Amino acid sequence: MSAYIIRRVWQMVPTLLGVVLLIFFLFNWIGGDPAYVLAGKISNPEQIENIRRQLGVDQPYWKQLLIFLQQILTGDFGASWSTNEKVSQIFLTRLGPSLTVLVPILVLETLIAIVIALGVAYVRGSLTDRLVMVACTVGMSISLLVYIIVGQYVFAYKLGWFPVQGWGESVSENLFVYAALPVLLGLLVGIAPNTRLYRTFILDEINQDYVRTARAKGVSENRTMLVHVLRNALIPIITNVMAYLPGLLVGAFLLERFFSIPGIGREVILAVERSDFPVIKAVTIYVAMATMVINLLADLMYKAVDPRVVLK
Amino acid sequence: MLFRTSFLATIAMFLATPVAAAADPNKVLRWEFQTAETGFDPALVSDNYSNTVIEGILEPLLTYDYLARPAKLVPLTVAAMPEVSEGGKTFVFKLKKGIHFSPDPVFKGKKRELVAEDYAYSIKRLMDPKLRAQMRFIVDNKIVGLNELAVQAEKTGKFDYDAKIPGLEVVDRHTLRIRLIQPDYNFLYILAMPTVGAVAREVIEHYHEDTQAHPVGTGPYMLKQWVRGSKIVLVANPEYRGLVWDFKPGDDPEDKAIVAAMKGKKMPTIGTMEIYVMEEEQSRWLAFQRGELDVLRFPGTFAPIALPGDKLAPDLVKKGITMSRIIEPEITYTAFNMQDPIIGGLEKEKVALRRALTMAYSNADEIRIIRKNQAIEAQSPIPQGVVGHNPKYRSSIPNDPQLANSLLDKFGYKKGKDGYRNLPSGKPFTIKLTTETNAVSREFDELWKKAFESVAIRMEVDKGKFSDHYRAAKQCQLQMWGQAWIADYPDGENFMQLLYGPNVGASNNACYKSPAFDKLYEQARSMPNSPERDRLFEQMSRQIEADTPWRLGVSRYRTQLVQPQVKGYKKHPMIRAEWLYIDIEPRR
Repeated sequence: MSAYIIRRVWQMVPTLLGVVLLIFFLFNWIGGDPAYVLAGKISNPEQIENIRRQLGVDQPYWKQLLIFLQQILTGDFGASWSTNEKVSQIFLTRLGPSLTVLVPILVLETLIAIVIALGVAYVRGSLTDRLVMVACTVGMSISLLVYIIVGQYVFAYKLGWFPVQGWGESVSENLFVYAALPVLLGLLVGIAPNTRLYRTFILDEINQDYVRTARAKGVSENRTMLVHVLRNALIPIITNVMAYLPGLLVGAFLLERFFSIPGIGREVILAVERSDFPVIKAVTIYVAMATMVINLLADLMYKAVDPRVVLK
Repeated sequence: MLFRTSFLATIAMFLATPVAAAADPNKVLRWEFQTAETGFDPALVSDNYSNTVIEGILEPLLTYDYLARPAKLVPLTVAAMPEVSEGGKTFVFKLKKGIHFSPDPVFKGKKRELVAEDYAYSIKRLMDPKLRAQMRFIVDNKIVGLNELAVQAEKTGKFDYDAKIPGLEVVDRHTLRIRLIQPDYNFLYILAMPTVGAVAREVIEHYHEDTQAHPVGTGPYMLKQWVRGSKIVLVANPEYRGLVWDFKPGDDPEDKAIVAAMKGKKMPTIGTMEIYVMEEEQSRWLAFQRGELDVLRFPGTFAPIALPGDKLAPDLVKKGITMSRIIEPEITYTAFNMQDPIIGGLEKEKVALRRALTMAYSNADEIRIIRKNQAIEAQSPIPQGVVGHNPKYRSSIPNDPQLANSLLDKFGYKKGKDGYRNLPSGKPFTIKLTTETNAVSREFDELWKKAFESVAIRMEVDKGKFSDHYRAAKQCQLQMWGQAWIADYPDGENFMQLLYGPNVGASNNACYKSPAFDKLYEQARSMPNSPERDRLFEQMSRQIEADTPWRLGVSRYRTQLVQPQVKGYKKHPMIRAEWLYIDIEPRR
């Protein structure tokens, strides 16, 4: 197992280098010159040159690349070019609000979708199954933006069940007051496609020989579904859930904007608008690293869920 | 003896905390920002939102009269308006004595008085190359000796704040003499900008790693809480000297009601300011209607619902909501690149091409479709509410596609086989319109497409990031690009400089160079406000129409909706933080 982990970690190095080169290329050849944005509305060539010098974008490319690599190794991406706030501080303060919204969405939508998928898969072909599937298809055909606009209008403005927007100072206040509606809307969007997907995973397992054997041996339906079928269906479900995890680092931009949640999603968009390269590169590197680590964790979890899986 | 001591202590405390007595902590005003602020160091920011907060905390030498229109400068931390000599080159400011910075640990429990040196330091900071001040242009090449200091700093790597320069002479503790390189009567407007609000050097040096988070000033408020990009809480500054509300009503009928409600009140009365960053229009609109905001910058998108027939909707009136509206001191325009081989140049056929495009585009359609009737057509580069604006002035270029076609025919832009016009040389041509990738830009693309089609000229839309366009415009590489300019100070010169030849590469994005225009501009720049200068502005406007480096667009309305509990609110064209001048009923 440890040899496998070491090998996988080692394999991350070239992948990360590829990401570094890609970001570096995109920034330098496509991203534009940040000095013009930072110079303000009236500037002269000398000021532009001074800013380029201070940002280090006038250095030879190899030197800039070396500084970038050094930043990744030390984890210190410096300060935002537009606000002077340290990039580490940005992540430290903005991740909390994003996770307050996204973690409940991910956990609840996974659990709810699994329960519904198990139920409808069990009664496959019935009216209930068909009704749920139609509802899911309709649900997933509507954009998140529509859910947010309508949800905010109906639940917050018309019914007054939630505040229209805002963010407080305590975790409980945020979780139960301000994040409640964004979480609810996130669930409405996420449950439908996941239910359809998990139903398919579960149906694949229900049709397997081992299920027929279990039933022939007189194993109860509950045990067959919850122990045998669910356990085997968990591998693709874990893969799906794990694929969402790196997204937690970039937040939920739309939810954060509409509900004024000071999360990382808004910050990333602001950074892009302001050509704030230190923030953009930190986010990209963190997401790339998180994706690789999470993939490794997913593989390890397959082994834990299904002992037949061999890690090579 | 004990009684006497405690009595004196009570009196002393009362005298020392005039604002604590006036500002009621239960009076909380909730405000909104449409975009995240960047910070509160005046030398490091240039955005409207950061400057709004700075305006509440730091004080420049001058400010504006709350009710006077057009905007009128009045003393803020100085005892009187400055003495101006040498024909607008020298200004002497005498500070009021006994103004103190808000308490901060840097002052170690002692009161820190505002002195002339603080202003000299604050102005110098704008030229420090290390700070990369975006607002450097307001003092760049203006103050005697200041640019030399900046050049020296670039060489040595250190800005010498202790160096004495003739342009910023601290005559005594409370007297500052500013000498300009050339006469500039508008310099007084610059000294009313939050950018030159006084900071204490020891505070800046102490918090050098994050000066954005530590604004310490002499203004009515101080920063209590800052959740970056989300929430800003300000509380009344206990050291603030206070002011008694005593503004004279202007011609506006609503002024009398404001004066009746506010006259004689000790300001500020509002104890706490809560500012929320709310980027989405729907969120702001719903939050206001739910009473989660006290004042709202009205989002134009909702005009058909909230302002039918340009009047407040009956349901809003029933709730007691009122409206305060001004024409923003701004203009929108489309710059034609005067150095472009097809659309630029002062040859007659080139002028005809630009003028034809200007005539083909309908500002009326833009106002109706895109602006939802929340704008008026601009007639000259100087908008309403700005000194030099002439309400009777009318542009000589009408919206008339038929006339535009005749003009193009006359100057040899004949139609080819494909139905589109070619250059007088017979060569086909396409004009590239540069716009951004957002939804509003797409609406502009459609209007422009209609305009180009009406004069049978091929058009291509060049989409991209604002920052890239900005750079390309500075290098005179775009053909046509729509922009907006909002007044830094309410004087026509601030708008006319956008077409001044030496400003190519800086603010003159049309890359327009006209000796006739430049001569008029230079004349006007060194003159105080006068009918003679107004005439020069008119001549400049006519010169712009003759050469057509711009297609003039609109000036937008700024509509503020106000909850009934807010008293005395009136939108000011230049003051961003009107909180000092208004009142609110306490929250229960």
